Amino acid sequence: MRRGFAYVVTLVLMALSTAALAARVGEPAPNFTAIDSNGKAHTLAAYHGKFVVLEWHNQGCPYTQKHYNSGNMERLQKEWTQKGVVWLTVISSAPGTQGYVTAEQENDYLRRMNAAPTAALLDPTGDLGHLYSAKTTPHMFIISPDGVLIYDGAIDDKPTPDPADIATSRNYVSQALREAMSGKPVSTPTSRSYGCSVKYAH
Amino acid sequence: MLCLAARAIADERGVAIPHGTVELLSEQESIQPGHAIHLGLHFRLEKGWHIYWINPGDSGEPPRLEWHLPAGLRAGALEWPAPSRLPILPLMDYGYEGEVLLPVPIENTADLAPGEEAALSADLTAIVCREVCIPAKANLSLSLPVRVDRPGESAETQAMFRAARKALPKPAPANWRPSAKDLGDSFELRVNTGHSVSEAWFAPLDPLEIENAAPQKSVSTAAGVRLILKKSDQLLKPVSRLRGVLVLPQGAYLINAPVAPAPAKRPQQGAVR
Repeated sequence: MRRGFAYVVTLVLMALSTAALAARVGEPAPNFTAIDSNGKAHTLAAYHGKFVVLEWHNQGCPYTQKHYNSGNMERLQKEWTQKGVVWLTVISSAPGTQGYVTAEQENDYLRRMNAAPTAALLDPTGDLGHLYSAKTTPHMFIISPDGVLIYDGAIDDKPTPDPADIATSRNYVSQALREAMSGKPVSTPTSRSYGCSVKYAH
Repeated sequence: MLCLAARAIADERGVAIPHGTVELLSEQESIQPGHAIHLGLHFRLEKGWHIYWINPGDSGEPPRLEWHLPAGLRAGALEWPAPSRLPILPLMDYGYEGEVLLPVPIENTADLAPGEEAALSADLTAIVCREVCIPAKANLSLSLPVRVDRPGESAETQAMFRAARKALPKPAPANWRPSAKDLGDSFELRVNTGHSVSEAWFAPLDPLEIENAAPQKSVSTAAGVRLILKKSDQLLKPVSRLRGVLVLPQGAYLINAPVAPAPAKRPQQGAVR
């Protein structure tokens, strides 16, 4: 009960602050608190000192399926979380729309796919999605250890739902993380994210 | 019922894709050695479903073709009719609902022998969307007789190609002098059409320039029209030209406007929002 109340308060605060904030590369990433598929709250500010990846997700979307059924996304999650990156999968599908899942359904999916994000955040109100202007699934964001947004865009440079294109694609997320971790500026800080529209409530 | 039956028969000619059909059409009935032809990619979609423009907007992707043509035939780029705005709140996509024909010119320096048949084919990849998206793949083919004489235009497809050309954006007349100004958080696009314009909107060719879903403020002036386009949050570098299609009540026009840089002193931010 108490957790439920805190969640509601957080969302209200988040909604109030949305108007003044936007996610823009080079600027502080807007803070948020959201609840994962195990009922645990995650606050961005608490991950200060670590790289954070946000991955917008919809398991029914062919573009998401391209990266999950091929094992590409799971591989990226394992590789980068092993290097200390916090990887948060975010599901902003509204109830009744494609990709909406209950906590139980999401945990079942994560097990079945052998996925390895740090956590899967459930955002059925779309508040977190709107805060970051997440447009598509997938849509990827990277936040630096000092809390600045350093990448906003596509997962890679091949905007198709065809898994055969992964092998020849340039992965913008890995590239940005590699560059940022070695102290270099991110060479492609924004790109057009490609995929299905995020299924927000209307 | 009659209408449905006729439609079903017509549909048999196309290749089925999710929620529609697609067909490769030729404007000409035959192919003449040394002369170019025009083919077209003809989509027919169920109500509510769409495909995408060359810049799909916030989601989706445009149809792509991989051609398989006899040596000496070379396909040019697809020609794109002016798109419709497809709001998928809070996003905005650009594309086509219902029926659309995308013409494509085919250069011809092939060594074709009259009497033969030229086999033309292409592999299509596309995505068909309503709220949800379904990938589509199709192998499209067409065979045209090679004849020495000038081909007649296929009566059946002639009207369709004529309509498709009419829907293509025209180059903006030189005296319209399109120009743009960087206002910091937005672009101002000015086009001197020479008359007042009741309604106008701009579809950018390049992604990440403007916020596709933001309302475009259109101001009719004595000289033409002024549009305020909100910059994309993802735009990090100055833009030197705005390229795209200006859609006016009388038709659509290609715009390539130089952008005057933002004034050195940016207006105070955050005071008013």
